[in-house]
Amino acid sequence: MGRIDRSDLLQGTLDLLILRTLTLGPEHGWGISQRIQQMTTDVLRVNQGSLYPALHRLEVQGWIESEWGLSASNREAKFYRLTKAGHRHLEKETANWERLVGAVARVLAATS
Amino acid sequence: MGWFKRLFGKRPTNADIQRELDFHIAMERAARETRGVNPAEARRTALVDFGGVSRAYEDVRDVRGMTFRESLMQDLRIGLRMLVRSPGYTFAAIAILALGIGANTAMFSVINGVLLEPLPFRDGQQLVLVQHSASRSNVADAGVSINELFAYRTRLTSVRNLVEYHQMNFTLLNQGDPDRVDTGVVSANFFDMLGIKPLEGRTFIDTDDDLGAPAVLVLGYEYWRDKFGGDKSVVGRVLQMNDKPHTIVGVLPPYPQYPRRNDVYMPTSACPFRSGAEQQIAQSHRTFAALRVFGRLAEDRTVEQATAEIATVAESFAKDHAPDYEATRGFTGQAQYLGETLVSGARAMLYTLLGITALVLIITCANVANLALARTVRRSREMAVRMALGAGRTRIMRQLVTESVLLSSIGGLAGLGLAWLSLDLLVGFMGRFTPRTGQIDIDGTVLAFTAVASVLTGVIFGLAPAFSTGRGLTQAIRDGGAQAGEGGGRQRARAVLVVAQVAVSFALLVGAALLLKSFHRLSSVPLGFNSESVMTASITGNFSRATSQAEFTRLQQNIIDRLRTTPGVRSAAATNLVPQLVTQPVAPPVVIEGVTATDGRSLQALASGASEGFFETLDIPLLAGRDFSRSDPVPPPPPPASSGAPPLAPTPRYAIINQSMAKFWNGVDPIGRRFARPAQAALGDRGIWFTVIGIVPDFHLYNVDTSVAPQYFVSIQQIGGGGRLIVRAGGDPGDVAQTIRTTVHSIDNQIPVEELLTLGQLHGQQLATPAVTTALLAIFAVVALAVTLAGLAGLVGTSVSQRTREFGLRMALGASRFSVLRLVLGQGLMLTVIGLVLGLGGAYVFSQLVTQFLFETTRTDILVYAGTALVFVIATLAASAGPARRATGIDPLKALRTE
Repeated sequence: MGRIDRSDLLQGTLDLLILRTLTLGPEHGWGISQRIQQMTTDVLRVNQGSLYPALHRLEVQGWIESEWGLSASNREAKFYRLTKAGHRHLEKETANWERLVGAVARVLAATS
Repeated sequence: MGWFKRLFGKRPTNADIQRELDFHIAMERAARETRGVNPAEARRTALVDFGGVSRAYEDVRDVRGMTFRESLMQDLRIGLRMLVRSPGYTFAAIAILALGIGANTAMFSVINGVLLEPLPFRDGQQLVLVQHSASRSNVADAGVSINELFAYRTRLTSVRNLVEYHQMNFTLLNQGDPDRVDTGVVSANFFDMLGIKPLEGRTFIDTDDDLGAPAVLVLGYEYWRDKFGGDKSVVGRVLQMNDKPHTIVGVLPPYPQYPRRNDVYMPTSACPFRSGAEQQIAQSHRTFAALRVFGRLAEDRTVEQATAEIATVAESFAKDHAPDYEATRGFTGQAQYLGETLVSGARAMLYTLLGITALVLIITCANVANLALARTVRRSREMAVRMALGAGRTRIMRQLVTESVLLSSIGGLAGLGLAWLSLDLLVGFMGRFTPRTGQIDIDGTVLAFTAVASVLTGVIFGLAPAFSTGRGLTQAIRDGGAQAGEGGGRQRARAVLVVAQVAVSFALLVGAALLLKSFHRLSSVPLGFNSESVMTASITGNFSRATSQAEFTRLQQNIIDRLRTTPGVRSAAATNLVPQLVTQPVAPPVVIEGVTATDGRSLQALASGASEGFFETLDIPLLAGRDFSRSDPVPPPPPPASSGAPPLAPTPRYAIINQSMAKFWNGVDPIGRRFARPAQAALGDRGIWFTVIGIVPDFHLYNVDTSVAPQYFVSIQQIGGGGRLIVRAGGDPGDVAQTIRTTVHSIDNQIPVEELLTLGQLHGQQLATPAVTTALLAIFAVVALAVTLAGLAGLVGTSVSQRTREFGLRMALGASRFSVLRLVLGQGLMLTVIGLVLGLGGAYVFSQLVTQFLFETTRTDILVYAGTALVFVIATLAASAGPARRATGIDPLKALRTE
């Protein structure tokens, strides 16, 4: 996982944000989108339509799992939860992310 | 386990996905409305911000892919369609698969029933048999005597609940015709020990075993059903047997009776022989050494420990009662699992058959793989199109494997039917080797085996074409359909499969040829007597009525005399043993007067009894001396053991010996000389000595696959015995069967006349086992050959149609038809020759399996191998004749014009 190319970066970022959000506890798709908006103070606006394929991809990969339950407004909603594998993956990806950001920051600092 | 979850994990249904997205939109709308946006606007903006619900829906579906079930159903649909579209291929493949899987299913059901399933008794795996042997006297099974059983009961700690069993034939009266019944004579606790509860009434109780207890019987289920119509009121009925009333006390449930099936069972006290012997056990420690004894292994003991303990006790018998163990030198004992002893005769045959059917399955797989490969060629365009439309390589492979598993499953189902049809035959066949055929059945285990075998077969033969679909996409499309040439790799793969089939079939054929040769040898062994036109029968005197042996002898003489005067009868005689009926036992030792066995040569000879006229009836000439005669003196009956009787008067007893036995006298004329059993010889002149009065040539009294042992015949008029009649007919021996019956019944109508068999039939019965074994293997081998040749012809045929242009060109350039013929035939021949060379090693290994069934035939018989190879070569030429004719018939002009 040494290199990350540009297209991966965008997709990977969304995955990372979803996983991070879910460390706070199980949440449904809409709730996840709300949390991401809050946490990034609207800097990153997640395209809501692309959230769901990402969620399903993460589930297929086994990093999150889902279950139908009742939302706060008492409606049936599908809740996602981080799995153990997901936790490990998040830790690894977070470290990668920090290395990347650090490296980019060093480059930017050196050239300016 | 990611792939596992992906294949089998729960997946959201399409409705689930829709529901999830709907929930999102609803939440978004609600959020906007609470911020004061009007509902219509809220709905619109929510949808716009989401960026297209249907697109998200499709994207999620793409992520999820098709479910395993969906794609499986799709594969099955396509598979079925493809199979229906090429019925020829489908039918051929299913037929071949049915054969391969059916043969294996049938074999497995036999192995499952005979070897794998536990004995159908309570803790059947704990039952052990006490076995005696006497290695230095060449006695493999020395039986257990009454004394020995009693001693074991008190002395063995490793085997408990010892019970005895032996089988007798008695005549049961009071229910229509006198009925000879197989009677199991058993200890009172026999059924309790095996855990068998009676269906009606009771089994035996301890007091039934007391000497002098009223005689009781327990009926076997089948006998009760057949003879008493399953009448429950039969319990309590009294029947006459052995001139004694016997009360029926119970009926057994239908269970597989071991060691063998009996019509009725009686306790030991009711058997006149057994109870008579028990009163005389003081005479010898080996009295009535005819028992089978088994018991239950103590929980903390192993069979090895039991063997050690039994051997110690058995050897102490021989030491403490040395004179009684004269005839059984090297006497010792061991424990063997009952289950083991019952199947020991069948194991080799079963493994051989399993080996054969496994080979047949290999050929089947290779053959169908070949068919499938040929078919993928024709389907290459279909595959290319599917790949172009985005089907992945694994997806296509899965499709192909699904198809082949579908085929093999149908084949397996058909095979199951074949197995079911052939099961009765197989059970009958295995019954020649083991009594444990009662549990052979197509049960759950067998079904599971068939299912696994079918799927595995499908996967194996399906993978071959699947792996060869790797051709370039553009190449496949360019080639198109009809004229698509086989890639060199695929052609080679098919050739390899054909070669493999040839190799395996060759091994099978060599095995069958070896057996055929052996069978030919066996059936052409000269019997040494004239078996034409001789009818034999068994008669049983009512021994408890004809109290003395002399009476039975007189009865037999009357029967013989009357038969001799009956028209259509040439000659008649009585004997103990009709030729060809039993297997040659190990000969016990004899003492030859005036001859000492030197240089370790053992003097052992078999004994049988015969009346005068026995050799004449069999057309056996006397080489020297004379036959028995009615005027030979009859010794007085032995005095009762209890009376302090005077020693036996020295009445001479006569014997007629065969040539092998005559050699004991080292060239001296044996006529007039004496010999005796060791125990009698030890008594000196008070013992029973036999004087040789005649010599006959060696002939096969027993099975023909052993050499004739030294043998002597004593006069049944002097010694007693008999019970078998042999009658030479003037014409068809079948005609005298009724004559014998009426003659016997005109003298005593209570005597059952049974086993009316001609000597020819007896000889046939003896050859039946090797005949069936040979036939079975030959059938498999011929099927294998046919399947292999079909595969070979198919391959050659394909290659001819591919090379049509080439052949046309060759002929246009002046090649003769003969050279083209040679080209085509040469191709098939080359495959066969390579297969034969490779199969040579396999044949050598496989012949090891059949070697134990061979008679006077070595498994390396060059002629057999060469002959089999020749058959193969000729068959190959015949199989490639069709394609070859097609090749030579090619019109060069047409061939070159077509593309």
